[in-house]
Amino acid sequence: MATTEPKIPVEPPVPSENEGLRGINADYAERFGFHDAENYLYKAPKGLNREIVEKISEFKSEPEWMREFRLKALEHFLSRPQPTWGSPMLQEVDYDDIHYFVRASEKPGRSWDDVPADVKKTFDRLGIPEAERKFLAGVGAQYESEVVYHQVREDLEQQGVIFVDMDTGLREHEDIVRKYFATVIPPNDNKLAALNSAVWSGGSFVYVPEGVHVEMPLQAYFRINTENMGQFERTLIIAEPGSYVHYVEGCTAPTYSSNSLHSAVVELIAQPGARIRYTTVQNWSTNVFNLVTKRAIAQEDATVEWVDCNLGSRLTMKYPSVYLMGERAHGEILSIAFAGKGQHQDAGGKIIHAAPNTTSNIFAKSISKDGGRGSYRGLLEIAKGAHGARSKVVCDALLLDEESRSDTYPTIRISEDDVNVGHEATVSKVGEDQLFYLMSHGIPEDEASKLIVNGFIEPITKELPMEYAVEMNRLIELQMEGSIG
Amino acid sequence: MPEVIEVCPVAELQPGERRLVEWEDLEIGVFNCGGTLYAIEDRCSHDNGPLAEGEFDEEQCTVECPRHGSLFDITTGRPLTLPAYVPVDTFPVIIEDETIKLEVE
Repeated sequence: MATTEPKIPVEPPVPSENEGLRGINADYAERFGFHDAENYLYKAPKGLNREIVEKISEFKSEPEWMREFRLKALEHFLSRPQPTWGSPMLQEVDYDDIHYFVRASEKPGRSWDDVPADVKKTFDRLGIPEAERKFLAGVGAQYESEVVYHQVREDLEQQGVIFVDMDTGLREHEDIVRKYFATVIPPNDNKLAALNSAVWSGGSFVYVPEGVHVEMPLQAYFRINTENMGQFERTLIIAEPGSYVHYVEGCTAPTYSSNSLHSAVVELIAQPGARIRYTTVQNWSTNVFNLVTKRAIAQEDATVEWVDCNLGSRLTMKYPSVYLMGERAHGEILSIAFAGKGQHQDAGGKIIHAAPNTTSNIFAKSISKDGGRGSYRGLLEIAKGAHGARSKVVCDALLLDEESRSDTYPTIRISEDDVNVGHEATVSKVGEDQLFYLMSHGIPEDEASKLIVNGFIEPITKELPMEYAVEMNRLIELQMEGSIG
Repeated sequence: MPEVIEVCPVAELQPGERRLVEWEDLEIGVFNCGGTLYAIEDRCSHDNGPLAEGEFDEEQCTVECPRHGSLFDITTGRPLTLPAYVPVDTFPVIIEDETIKLEVE
């Protein structure tokens, strides 16, 4: 099959310490911004209507209840106005200029040899098979609308761990899916959740049986290739009592001059005593609107952690939330956002304490540069009866120049007296005095500003698996090019 | 002491039908699920918007909040899906003299 020739070797170049910094745009184009020729089995025309939704359901041979679910969600989507809060950029989204479904392969392969050659080449260039060999317990790779590769380690399968793409999940585990699907995020939750519910395709279905600890992360990688693409994956993770799972997702896309749309729905259910950690390294190209709904339920003694890193996209609006529904449940949101030229990262998180003695932390960090805008938007709610709840919210913003912008929109609602809530917010500029201090010790200006930024984000990156922490630091270093004027 | 209010004659609320009633500052939805009558507060506990005029599934005896999609069990007032997580009030239904009545307070 035809494909564009790779411009770089599979192993991406790692700059040495003395190499200095390069511009992010050049690097993104080389590493992630390339695209393949389109050899698709099916590509829906632009725009959304009942026929497209029915076609998606028909392609997937879905049960009737899912077809009805989609059509009802489509009505919700069409009847709801575009939200007016958040970012003014939201009004730029043109729902008629998007391809809602693109099929690249017949079914997910269990071996990379089953994946169409050009698609496999793309994932090779992104380093996915290599990462799988080195440190992952399972991998799902989604290309356009559907998952093209899926594999989980045999020993986990033997312990009853289910890690499949969502389409396979519905086909092979319909009873479980039907029981939990859309119970955390109903289709009418918001306009974008309704859109996802109507046209969802791909994503992951994870089920971890009681007491099973999945020690190595499961990873999903989402890739958009075509122009004006809409990707709408749907992920559902259920951790039975006392189990543990760490799910990691990453994403990239080619850089085009017109817009693409990514709108996922992610639902997590941590049953009593279970722990789910969900890590995202979002690195869409800067023509992608990233409008995602992520929400978790933590039952008694359960823990849910969202580690949410937003580097790419034109606009991201995403506020992962945890509903602490059982006594002593714990929620943790670590959010980091980097807003560069032309970007708005409207990120944050929500924690709802709905039971006694529940605890939570929200740590949010944003860095804005070259006129980028970073916003923290968060909700902390303590319901009546959630006595003994404890929470700490810290949001810090770092501005790297005069033209960049940072906003903080925290909401705190407390309906119980016997609680302990702390909230801190700071906005700082990389100060002349910090730079001067480091430079007076012989550290060049570029290095000094990198050190300051790395120190700023370190509380988050230390929570990432090592390989991602290294990658994250590297991406941020690249974005720091010429940041101090 | 709870007060008893009249809703309507039994014949006027057939299976699959619902009716809204007001009492003081309370708004209540009365539902007929397969011949059994239930009454819940017409207020979604998520954001205090109206609830009872949402999609009514007689078979499951649920109503869906028209604003953000939380599904409520009409028999208990409990939300079955987020974003609502607090139950809404329910009211005892009495049938006397072929008339549907509610106990409110």
